[in-house]
Amino acid sequence: MEFNPALFIDLFAHTFTYWWVIIPAIFLGLVVGAIPGFSAANTIIILLPLTLAMDPEMGLVFMVALYASSRMGAGIPAILVNIPGTAGAAATPLDGYPMTRAGRGHQALSISFVSSTAGGLLTTIIALLAMPWLSQVAYYLHSVEMIVVMLFGISLIASIAAKDTLKGLIAGFFGLMIGSIGADVIYATPRGTMGFLELYDGVPLIPALVGLFAVSEAFIVIEQRSIMSEEGQKLMEEAGWAETWEGVKIAGSKWWHITWTSIIGLIIGVVPGAGAGIAAFVAYQQSRTFSKTPEKYGTGHVEGLVAPESANNGVTSGTLVPLLVIGIPGGATAAIMLVVLQYHGVTIGPDLFLTAPNLAYGPFAAMAVTYAMLIPLIMPLARYMSKVTVISTTYMTPLIISFTLVGAFVSRSYVFDMYLALAFGLIGYIARKTGYHVAAILIGVILGPMLENYFLRAMRMSQNDIMVLFSSNLGNVLWVALVLSLVFPYVLEYRRKQKRALEARGETPVRGK
Amino acid sequence: MSHESPSGKPDKKHIGGELIIPVAGVVFAIYYFSTIIDSPFEAQVSAFFVGTILMALVAVFILKSAISVIRGEADLSMEILLSARSFLPKRLALFALTVAFIIVVEWGGFTLTTFAFLALAMLLLSNGRNLKFVLILAASLAIGGYLLFIVAFHTRFPFGPFEHLMNRVL
Repeated sequence: MEFNPALFIDLFAHTFTYWWVIIPAIFLGLVVGAIPGFSAANTIIILLPLTLAMDPEMGLVFMVALYASSRMGAGIPAILVNIPGTAGAAATPLDGYPMTRAGRGHQALSISFVSSTAGGLLTTIIALLAMPWLSQVAYYLHSVEMIVVMLFGISLIASIAAKDTLKGLIAGFFGLMIGSIGADVIYATPRGTMGFLELYDGVPLIPALVGLFAVSEAFIVIEQRSIMSEEGQKLMEEAGWAETWEGVKIAGSKWWHITWTSIIGLIIGVVPGAGAGIAAFVAYQQSRTFSKTPEKYGTGHVEGLVAPESANNGVTSGTLVPLLVIGIPGGATAAIMLVVLQYHGVTIGPDLFLTAPNLAYGPFAAMAVTYAMLIPLIMPLARYMSKVTVISTTYMTPLIISFTLVGAFVSRSYVFDMYLALAFGLIGYIARKTGYHVAAILIGVILGPMLENYFLRAMRMSQNDIMVLFSSNLGNVLWVALVLSLVFPYVLEYRRKQKRALEARGETPVRGK
Repeated sequence: MSHESPSGKPDKKHIGGELIIPVAGVVFAIYYFSTIIDSPFEAQVSAFFVGTILMALVAVFILKSAISVIRGEADLSMEILLSARSFLPKRLALFALTVAFIIVVEWGGFTLTTFAFLALAMLLLSNGRNLKFVLILAASLAIGGYLLFIVAFHTRFPFGPFEHLMNRVL
């Protein structure tokens, strides 16, 4: 796995010759990513007859292009109508949707596209160059370390709760309780299922996502003619290419933010099973922690949109690392790629880099080329896509309810899941009307079962010794980082208050004090 | 959520609605505990940990709310939930239509049920105006959805008479 520039240049040039495969895959990925209930994994499964018929290299290029673009597609409805296409985009509407409501939907889309592309491209290149080392991450992050990583994500609840701490925490812990529904992984005892067999596997995420975000929002927006304020509508109607370009420039100015949040995504993506949902939440939480203006998060703050979008695209390349190096897929889509490669008789592992470098490095080259093609293809559409927000709620609401409810049905083909989405819609409606954050509930539903699984494993291995949580060096470093990231904002806020108080008294703050 | 009355005195906060989520959380946590009471310790510990914190948070919230009510700063009315009262009948009718949609779509299939739901819901929200436009829009969206999801993507949407008929025709 040595760095060979000539090989890489040749590989990229070769991958560009598959433009006719990549472009349709990009558009398909954008569509399936944007629809709740659809995912790159489902679509690739549906299209297996097609990919199996292609030669392995072309099939890989097609799957990777679809996968990368679907990640970007999931952010579009999250920003425009507050409906994340997948759990990976669940943190996107926190700041993306307020931008849309303020008439800056097209700008939010431009920022999201640039962040996603730059984050995806950067992490693809890093993954390509640092593959031997990155592949080791999965070996170091065991259940104990993963518990701390999960807690990083869950601590976002505390960030969301900053406006009304008690309500935010109640919403988050209510979500964690809901996320605990289902049979436990070790003893398979059904817990909290209310007798529904459909809940034995846990609460499916798509109905929760659809209900909490789409259905609840649909029942609230009927009070207005449009999802935007009058001023926002005016801004949207007057918006032109200049505003789109402005979005690109704003995102460009956040290059450092894109860099480090996408690297968070890459590292979490390398860990099998962690996924884009947790990466987006962790990145959002860290972005808010280290921000000079944390109070602006949740109000349409650019960095609050950049962080989850860069991170969830960073995950995309991360999931391919363990697949190609050690043959362990980092996610569902990577697992399907493994199946396709095995069908063609390709044996995954370190040998592949020597025997078939085109196949081993190919997915990363395909991903980089896809991201490079995405910007010119999708950016001109931002202005037109954002016009969806000026459609009257009279027509938009029934469309959102019917199509997202059917989307909840798709993943498991259970009518029960549509009722479940409606139940989550009711919870979401009450939560929104009474000042509880639906995102806090969703974080609990997504991360709760993961946390419990890792916790159970750790307890099992240590024979119920709770001190196992502090038994590894890396784990302890992560614990310290977690505590610091929780305490840091309060220290900063304290210092800011002190500075303001000194300024109000007409005194100049002394450095170091 | 508190307003000022014409007399200049601040109106009471209506906190009845704010208690729904915490109470639902506690009720669910108690039910959840009842389902794990016989489970081994490992399977209990995480839920007890989360559930206990939830209950403690709710206890603090209820205590805070009770103090506000006793001081006369708040009452237990559900006004927050029922705000924008003029939309209440429409909202309830839309909810009933949504439940009907889920019941019917299982045997009515995606296309026909979606068409009926879209048409009825759009007519409900537009107060019966633009009948022709609504019918054309509902039909276009339902057929568009059928072509995109079922024909193009072979998605497992609910099948009904229309989809079965089209399967035979195509």
